Amino acid sequence: MVFLNPQTRVVGGGKGMRIEVERSLGQSAEASAREIRALLSGRKIYALNLISSPGSGKTSLIEALLGRYAAKSRVAVVEGDIETDIDAGRIRRHGVQVRQINTRSSCHIQPSQLLSVLRGMDLEQTRLLIVENVGNLVCPAEIPLGEDTRVVLLSVTEGDEKPLKYPLVFKTSDLLVITKTDLLPYVRFDVERVRRAARTANPAVEIFEVSAVTGAGLPALLDRIESLRAAKNG
Amino acid sequence: MHELGIANETLDVALSEAHRHAAKKVTAIRLCVGVLRAVEPGNLSFLFEHLARGTLAEGARLDIEEEAIRVACPACGDMEADSFTSVCPRCKGTPVTASGGDSLSILSIEIDI
Repeated sequence: MVFLNPQTRVVGGGKGMRIEVERSLGQSAEASAREIRALLSGRKIYALNLISSPGSGKTSLIEALLGRYAAKSRVAVVEGDIETDIDAGRIRRHGVQVRQINTRSSCHIQPSQLLSVLRGMDLEQTRLLIVENVGNLVCPAEIPLGEDTRVVLLSVTEGDEKPLKYPLVFKTSDLLVITKTDLLPYVRFDVERVRRAARTANPAVEIFEVSAVTGAGLPALLDRIESLRAAKNG
Repeated sequence: MHELGIANETLDVALSEAHRHAAKKVTAIRLCVGVLRAVEPGNLSFLFEHLARGTLAEGARLDIEEEAIRVACPACGDMEADSFTSVCPRCKGTPVTASGGDSLSILSIEIDI
């Protein structure tokens, strides 16, 4: 965002007038995101925002993460979907606190929705909050939710041109997780092409290759997330 | 559908400026939208038109300025690009860095007083 301070200048006079406003849009969403950030920091909670196309493996990654933490009271999950609480049901079986947001007509979680859900949760023990955004590579990229780390997932069945087609999400994510790598022998997916394109969009991005089926690459990713969490909250 | 939120906020800002200047009507609004924002101008105009019905901004024109991505090539100089690229779009050989394209702001509002 370029214009932090709204500036108003009136040009002309009489009947028709032009007002130079220079004001960035998205300020109400940004205000809610700041409130979320303050709420989380005050409680020493580290937050992940998981973004991907539908079916890339966000919920499977959450399940893998939950397997790493023995103290289930330390982890809370918020699931975002257009409809149903299927994902929340899947997560609840792991014995962690979970809430489902149904966004209905909206293709992403709004910060105001997340804020009101968080206010209704018991976060006393929570140290890790995982937010699974609505499956979509476009709109969620536009809307920061006050997260500490943004994770974009890309499954090898989606095609290796995605970072070029949807640059904003790859530009704004801290971690890129290439999923379903056990399927690489069966699909045309050039991992190096994805790495190059992702680094062009964001030179600082950290890239992981995982398979939830074989478990390959998962320990390195889960360790990295834990070290990021510990770096924030000890 | 993230255009709906943008249309809503655009209308809010326009109406509050209109009230502040005791305007009779909002006639036009100029926006700057970066190409990375994935905003569909037709969608945004349609939603704005619908939301503005019955307000001072009914019938106001939305002028949407597109902000391109900028690349700086050591050999060819600065230029605009349509998308993210790691090599210069002109000479195709030199590695470049891209910037910009993520603006989303209201530049000006035209009113009748």
